Amino acid sequence: MEQPKLSVILLSGELEKLQAGSLVSSVASMSGMEVNVFVTMEALKAFRKDVVNARDFKTAGEIGREMLNKNVDLFYQLLENGKDMGNLKVYGCAMAMDLMGWKKEDLIDIFDDVIGVTAFLGKAAGSQVIVM
Amino acid sequence: MPEVMITKTIDARGSYCPGPLMELVKAIKRGQVGDVYELLSSDNGSAKDVPEWVNKMGHELVYCREDGDCWRIAVRKTK
Repeated sequence: MEQPKLSVILLSGELEKLQAGSLVSSVASMSGMEVNVFVTMEALKAFRKDVVNARDFKTAGEIGREMLNKNVDLFYQLLENGKDMGNLKVYGCAMAMDLMGWKKEDLIDIFDDVIGVTAFLGKAAGSQVIVM
Repeated sequence: MPEVMITKTIDARGSYCPGPLMELVKAIKRGQVGDVYELLSSDNGSAKDVPEWVNKMGHELVYCREDGDCWRIAVRKTK
């Protein structure tokens, strides 16, 4: 049987949405699904090394703020765990990188590649898609 | 209840979803077929989520019970 597939598109820079999308991704990976995560727009900024080191994440409200206060594994740690324990890949958006003049080295070391929409559509073909 | 030989107890108390599940998955991945892992979790979601994962992956749930302020969930690796 072919491995069931899930595609997650992270758009928002809000911690709550990054966290929800990454949580679903990591659990899906641990449950035997092939998971492809595409990170673009404001979400990409939250994966910059300087932003992660400073924990400078935008929050939408109370729950996000509590996540930063308590010792919760944040989105990038969840994605790392999903990679370790299954078939999960993370892709950065080439358009956003070009637009902002960012390099792969500016981002934390979690990205498998920087790709465009056409390449991602190929990977996402036939999968369930979640947009956050 | 008959005695169950626990290979290892994983203390994930104080960790939030999906932390406890992740700890269990790590142990099962590294373990041998027949090993029994007991997970301690203070996250109430674990009591629902862990059995669901065990069922989906085809392992065996030995027990899932509340013990004071935490859950004790034992899983046998079957493959």
